[in-house]
Amino acid sequence: MERRSFLKGFGAVTACAALIPTITHAAEEAKKVTGPNEMSMESAIAAITGGKPVTPSSKVSLSAPEIAENGAVVPVKVSVESQMSANDYVKAIHLLATKNNNVRCANVYLTPANGEATFGTRIKLGSTQDVLAIAEMSNGTFLSAKQNVKVTIGGCG
Amino acid sequence: MRKLPMCTALFSLALCGMLNAEESMSMNAADKAMYAEMLENNPAAMDVAEGEEIFNALIGQEAYAKMLGIKVKDLPKTVAGFPRFVKAANKVVTLSQSLQMAMADRGHPVPKLESNEIIKMTAHVKSLANDQKINIDVKANKQMQEMVVLGQKIFEERRGGRGLSCNSCHSPDIVGSRLRMQALPDLGAKETASAATWPAYRMTQSAMVTLDKRMQQCMKNALLAELPLGSKEMVGLEVYVANKAKGNPIQIPGLKR
Amino acid sequence: MKTLIKIKPNSYKVGDIVKVDFMAMHPMESGMRKDKDTGQIVPAHYINEVNFFFNDKVLTKMITWESLSVNPVLSISLKVSGAGTLKVLAKDNKGESVETSAAITPKG
Repeated sequence: MERRSFLKGFGAVTACAALIPTITHAAEEAKKVTGPNEMSMESAIAAITGGKPVTPSSKVSLSAPEIAENGAVVPVKVSVESQMSANDYVKAIHLLATKNNNVRCANVYLTPANGEATFGTRIKLGSTQDVLAIAEMSNGTFLSAKQNVKVTIGGCG
Repeated sequence: MRKLPMCTALFSLALCGMLNAEESMSMNAADKAMYAEMLENNPAAMDVAEGEEIFNALIGQEAYAKMLGIKVKDLPKTVAGFPRFVKAANKVVTLSQSLQMAMADRGHPVPKLESNEIIKMTAHVKSLANDQKINIDVKANKQMQEMVVLGQKIFEERRGGRGLSCNSCHSPDIVGSRLRMQALPDLGAKETASAATWPAYRMTQSAMVTLDKRMQQCMKNALLAELPLGSKEMVGLEVYVANKAKGNPIQIPGLKR
Repeated sequence: MKTLIKIKPNSYKVGDIVKVDFMAMHPMESGMRKDKDTGQIVPAHYINEVNFFFNDKVLTKMITWESLSVNPVLSISLKVSGAGTLKVLAKDNKGESVETSAAITPKG
């Protein structure tokens, strides 16, 4: 099925020599979206779009529970309609939690090899808020979808 | 900040009768499906995998089965019957306690019931019984009969500053009514089957928790003195609660709020 | 850091799109939580980069933040182009890094 190897520190560096160029590219991408963790929503979006407009679109599906049982583990799934071909694909899916201290949850850079533009994970939400997904298309446009998630303090303890 | 005794609300609830379960507060079908899907990638999955590593390194199925007086192939069925009377202990023990016994048997220092090793090994060993129906037999012998009676007594006993018992929230009359947006669960019902779905990942604790620990957490919130893990009363309580869920398939690890 | 890769479904052909779930055991501390016992802030400790490769070619690169839940799962799709190795490299803000592999074995 799968085998695991654990590498730490220098071991990781030597084993991944071939991967270094791609990793530093990620670091460059990170710089674009990096800033103090407590970035405002506007700054976070500007860092992603470079100021270009973001258009809400039904091509972006964001699914998250309407009422989250608990804010610590909220399942979120994003999928964007796209043929994911070499010249028409979703370059990135950005997931943001509008009221979290750090609004950024994940910046996912896809390739046509994904076949489908999907991303799923679980996030922490500190309070009831909108979750926002921004899709960066290969033609340079930005599409979005958002959903409100109610975070409850349910039950007894 | 001292936790507000929200169970005063419960106390008046018990006096005033049932609350209506408002539709807007119920989890809709789509949300339910999302949480069910989370079980596929349970946050506790790797804790269970670690439990397997620890168990296999320190005890192993052969030695464990031998201590229980059974064959390795009968482990799933036997595990599905805990808490049970174990001859080697001459008393009724929980799955976790049986692992403590096995550790001692193998010459290892015995970890506490609340230790990570015991919690993870408990989850792994119980997961060997996944899909097996809980087959606890409270009539098996005198000791089991004694423990289920004790368990029921504890379940129904009002204690603590608010005079609450387990029954205050979990009796058949009150299950379904809401306490802070969540329906009070019937511990034996198919949808809950507590004994079949703990150890579970508790979202509020960000950790995997065992059934007896969960009961302690519940006692704490109801302002009842926590019964010590492994005490006769706690074991009796677990026998009673497991018996409620008899016939339900085991699914470890669970996922709970 | 303990990790796990799951491919779903477990039987597929070339051309199929499979789901890849990568799970890591990690506290994902936001750096905002106070330890109940010590009263001190628990320093931020979270996975901040996860890169997926198929046969050493970049499949997906991710920058992840402390808003992800404890023991996070990251799910993406993979269009099966042939047999090979899926490799995931995960790194956290303290510099610990883990490499995990899974075989991609299409039938026919």
